[in-house]
Amino acid sequence: MEELIKNIKLQIIEALNLEGMTPDQIDDNAPLFGDGLGLDSIDVLELIVLIEKNYGIRLTSPAEGKKVFQSVAVMADYVAKNRKK
Amino acid sequence: MKIRKYVRILPGSVTVDGTPLAVDAAGADLLAELYRSFVKDYPKFFKMDVLCKLGVVATELLVMGEADRFTPREDRAVLLFSHSGPLCNDRNYQKTIAEDDFFPSPSLFVYTLANIVTGEIAIRNKYEGDTTAFELASFEPAPFVAAVRDAFEDRVTRSAICGWAEAVDASHFAAVMMLVDQDAAEGLDFTPENVEKIQSNQA
Repeated sequence: MEELIKNIKLQIIEALNLEGMTPDQIDDNAPLFGDGLGLDSIDVLELIVLIEKNYGIRLTSPAEGKKVFQSVAVMADYVAKNRKK
Repeated sequence: MKIRKYVRILPGSVTVDGTPLAVDAAGADLLAELYRSFVKDYPKFFKMDVLCKLGVVATELLVMGEADRFTPREDRAVLLFSHSGPLCNDRNYQKTIAEDDFFPSPSLFVYTLANIVTGEIAIRNKYEGDTTAFELASFEPAPFVAAVRDAFEDRVTRSAICGWAEAVDASHFAAVMMLVDQDAAEGLDFTPENVEKIQSNQA
């Protein structure tokens, strides 16, 4: 799980152009939106693309995305249980 | 109507009011260096396409140090001219949809309009006035001055960020932008002749 969390952090940094940020600077349990990384609605769409492209998981509703993208830890747990590649 | 301040940004040089600015980077790294030196606290910058980055840092050089910098204002317009618009970003976006098993990038898609650059400048600086993006074959001072003067006819606009902002790709870009003010007592007269001098770095 630790490796998956690190990979997801690296993928988030790359996909969202989080300049100057390293995986260590992203708290596993911090909210990705609002007070956490401060991501916006376009970033949500990028994350949806990210998990489909890298893990073969297709999210079908915004409500599902809201749950999955609570934090990196929640995202990694969801990916581990639902990944197709 | 006066040109209160002007800036030229090329891949290898930056001048403000005709005075060269000391920069270490060139090409693709230049805009990031300008961001780190002068903007500093707007991470959204790194999500932008090259044209928006260029417009945002050029504007920063024009307005930094202004009083009430981030107080919302309706009297300042943003009027930019370019040849290619967001074409280099369009190409990057097109690559994400070129293959059968494609994953279109939302963050690239949102920059595939020519007027996003004027919007980004307005959002960053809280300008609530007119924003317009023109696409022309080349930068010609006379129609440029005429279009900007027209924008001042709305009885609201008293000031404008305006000029030429062109991005061919990450390493090839050019901005000749100026802050034009209806009420300024000092500065260059806003005429095609003076704009041409600024464009050719002879002002």
